[in-house]
Amino acid sequence: MKLLAVTALSKSFRERRLLAIDELSLSAGERYVLTGENGSGKSTLLRILAGIDAPDSGVGHFGKRRFDWSPYPDWLRQEVIYVHQQPYLFHTSVVENIAYGLRARGVEAGERERLVAAAIAWARLGHLLRTPPQKLSGGERQRVALARAWVLAPKVLLLDEPTANLDAESRQQTIDLVQAFCGPETTAVIACHDRDMIALANRRRLHLVDGLIQQNSTPTL
Amino acid sequence: MGFLDATYAALRLLFSADPELWTIVGVSLSVTLRAMLIAMPVGVGCGYLLATLRFPGRRALIVVIQGLLASPTVVVGLMLYLLLSRQGVFGQLNLLFTQTAMVIGQVLIALPVLIAFSLAAIQGADPRARETAVALGASATRVGWTMLVEVRFALLAAVCNAFGRIVSEIGCSLMVGGNIAGVTRNIPTAIALETSKGDFAQGIALGIVLLVVALGVNSAFAFFQGESRR
Repeated sequence: MKLLAVTALSKSFRERRLLAIDELSLSAGERYVLTGENGSGKSTLLRILAGIDAPDSGVGHFGKRRFDWSPYPDWLRQEVIYVHQQPYLFHTSVVENIAYGLRARGVEAGERERLVAAAIAWARLGHLLRTPPQKLSGGERQRVALARAWVLAPKVLLLDEPTANLDAESRQQTIDLVQAFCGPETTAVIACHDRDMIALANRRRLHLVDGLIQQNSTPTL
Repeated sequence: MGFLDATYAALRLLFSADPELWTIVGVSLSVTLRAMLIAMPVGVGCGYLLATLRFPGRRALIVVIQGLLASPTVVVGLMLYLLLSRQGVFGQLNLLFTQTAMVIGQVLIALPVLIAFSLAAIQGADPRARETAVALGASATRVGWTMLVEVRFALLAAVCNAFGRIVSEIGCSLMVGGNIAGVTRNIPTAIALETSKGDFAQGIALGIVLLVVALGVNSAFAFFQGESRR
């Protein structure tokens, strides 16, 4: 079942055409690996899908609801979560970072504490709760960011090169968490160059070349 | 009276609970704190809006505000005097030579500092901070508050800077306050007056108080900044 689709999506920087996508359709509960050369527009596409950047033109559909980027609808922000390549953690605490999206959604304190505790256990962050976020390693930051996204149970998860610049151990931990995140309720698009990530089971491949997207119709097992 | 004699007399004055001296200190702190309480939310708010909104004339407005950073306080005092004097637009309010007039003057002096520093702080923030807040579904108000919290130490520097500028300014306070004993005489105007009368002891005593206040504010800032880096 089609969950998120965009049509006639274009984006240029100055004279350079970065994206010219006739149609991109993401099915519910599927995981997609987005590949392409450096500078091919992978991050730009994810940022547009997340409503952080706006395209020059394009129309989207989420389920049966139509949307565009002027402005990107608030209701869609509740469904789509984007995680930066190098996640930004607020200068508060690990717990407050994980709770941020829940506060933004008005989740009441008791329920918030319960969900944050579950996210901490899920990402195995219990030993890092007293560490200031700015003192965490790259892998630990990535895990906090994934926990912060996981706790919101998004329908669409957009990950921008989650294993870039990580050491081997952190990279494997991140891959395991991403695997665990991508359940049947979550559609995931993961931009990456990482061979192990590209080789994730049950994933479809999206490949960006010259602003155009090549989409596999069947999942690779 | 030599410098050492004057300093000795100043220290005796400081510890003698001299009512005149401490009234002057009280006027200074009261006026400056009230001015800061008004100027802080307005200045930081304007700085945030200037950093985040795009509108025609924005660049020109920023240039004007940055230019006002160097505006002589006596010119601010002169403009305010003209507005508050009997023939001025706000003459009927009878505010000239009152503490309220001094507060207004200090607010006007503090605002460019607060706006320019807040603008620089927010523009200098990591762009991922805003993007992360937006991506996590925060409302515009929450995004704004988050950004201010993220740059809080830069904002604290703005507040310290503005406080330092207005607690020690003399031009505006003298012109719109009138240096009336017990009412509008603050530390800088009193130092100028006592020095012109040759009473260096009171001038030095007030100068010490002013230095202690300025050092105290900056030490507190340095402490909080240090705490944040631990």
